[in-house]
Amino acid sequence: MPWKDRYTVSDEISLRDHQLHWPDGERMGALITVALSVASGPEGITATDLQSSAGRFGMGEGLDLLMQALARHGLRATVAVPAVVAEMMPERIREIAAAGHEIAALGLRHEDTSAMPRQEEASRIARATEILTRIVGKRPNGWYALSRQKDRYAGGATSPNTHDLLREAEYGWLGNGMADDIPYYTVTDVASRRSFLTLPYYYHLDDQYFSLFPVAGTGLENSDMLARNWKAELDAQYRRGRCFSMVLHPQHSGWCNRLELLERFLAHMTSRPGIWFATGSEIAAHWQQHFPAATHLKLEPSIWQDYEGSLS
Amino acid sequence: MRDALQNEVSDLVAAYRDDQSTFQRIGPISWPDANRIAVNFTADFDAMLLRRLNDEPAEQLAKGEFGGRVGIWRLIELFDSHAMKATFFVPGRICELYPRAVQACAASGHEVADHMWEHRVPSDPILERDHLAKSTNALAALTGKRPVGTRSWHTAEALTEQGYLYRSHGSDAHGPTWSHDAHGRNRLVELPFHYAIDDAMFFSFAWYKSATSEQRLSDPDRVMDMWWAAFEQQYRAGGYLNICLHPFVSGRAMRIAALDRLITRMKELPGVWLTSCEAVARHVADTCPPSATKPGP
Repeated sequence: MPWKDRYTVSDEISLRDHQLHWPDGERMGALITVALSVASGPEGITATDLQSSAGRFGMGEGLDLLMQALARHGLRATVAVPAVVAEMMPERIREIAAAGHEIAALGLRHEDTSAMPRQEEASRIARATEILTRIVGKRPNGWYALSRQKDRYAGGATSPNTHDLLREAEYGWLGNGMADDIPYYTVTDVASRRSFLTLPYYYHLDDQYFSLFPVAGTGLENSDMLARNWKAELDAQYRRGRCFSMVLHPQHSGWCNRLELLERFLAHMTSRPGIWFATGSEIAAHWQQHFPAATHLKLEPSIWQDYEGSLS
Repeated sequence: MRDALQNEVSDLVAAYRDDQSTFQRIGPISWPDANRIAVNFTADFDAMLLRRLNDEPAEQLAKGEFGGRVGIWRLIELFDSHAMKATFFVPGRICELYPRAVQACAASGHEVADHMWEHRVPSDPILERDHLAKSTNALAALTGKRPVGTRSWHTAEALTEQGYLYRSHGSDAHGPTWSHDAHGRNRLVELPFHYAIDDAMFFSFAWYKSATSEQRLSDPDRVMDMWWAAFEQQYRAGGYLNICLHPFVSGRAMRIAALDRLITRMKELPGVWLTSCEAVARHVADTCPPSATKPGP
């Protein structure tokens, strides 16, 4: 087996708390991602999704209310936009960008590319990039492959080619990595140390998993749990001086009492001194400057062996 | 008809008696130094191995990888900061993925015990023994000490052949029990853990191939309240509690902080023995030896 293929994607030990630092002597970094997608399953946004109440609310009133709430707290988000959504509401996306939020890509239609042939995935990345660049007037630098409520797994879905294709398409980072709670490098070729910067994501900080979730089955409204998870993780990472990364969907967090819970949490965050609220690309730039792969990606040689009767 | 019904009853009674002949409950245990309760904090360090075994996709593996890159180090620091000993159940193959972390567990004086060679037990008895030997030897080579405990589905025969003393894999009673075969052989101390005191039941999406419609998610405050209630009940009863953690789950900062509060709160009470599974198993073996077992039918 070459290196630790299909076991690990990065080096063996994360950066320790004391090794980290943030711009202007701030204590920690915080990333707020707004996923502007009403996709319910792995196929990505469908006509049915768009014509549902959740779709109408998420792309209409819910989006307005969520962006207003962020503005009230003076916070900028990184808005993950499926390219088709930008085609549907180009003016709204330009407004969001003009308000200081970063526009990142969330697929062509927020589709699961994990089993897609390389060429098809490359075409979809190219088309999404072209659409977002044309509408926003600026190339997106970040890409997300977030999960949807009906996905089999939480945490997003990438193919074995995704990271390399994004690098080739001159993206700077991928927004959903679960191997750490700070940015890290996903290694795609060990021999050449080829890697791609990945920002942290965790499903316990993603509103869709606490908003009448699971959609089918035992789904319960657990917005109180979500709020406690946000606060517990923020406070713990604050003490460590690491990073906090949350994902919001307008159709979930934009809704009445959930929006109030969110605002209470935003007030808690902004009341703490020393939090660097940054966009995905600002965090990525800080990482590339101060913790570049050339010096901070420490790949141990593989000592993995093959044995008869064991996993290879 | 009456004979058929009688057979139905007899079969079940026989099944019950067969099972009863394989274990012994242990009466109230007097813990050392007049402690009221023994508490084992245990961590199953399988990282991404189980998800790899189930052939799950890349992000699932990365979720497990968090345990090796981040979580394991935080658990070691947490236990060390409380000057307590814990038990890490480690699949042998983790020695080839995270050797430094496994060595760090041992260097801090924590127990490193077996968690199956690669998180499975082959049904073929020869391959089962091969896997157990590989895991035992890998852990012994890396830590300098042969494991005496396991959290696994390994058979008692295979375990006792290789000198194992205890197994922590079930919840037959609140406290330790003895297990053995119908002839009173292949004895092991069983240290129960309950799924209600297992972090993966509250925080691990798609646990054991569970479907999206079956997911259970929670938050640290809620889970710590339940675990504290379990601890208090056993504290009053003078019993035992085994807390099952996973570095990829409990290693998240919010849960380390919650566990820190839980341990701090436990330590405020007198008579709480925070120790390794090995220490509990040896105490049980020394002070509560199994009574003579009648040969099975």
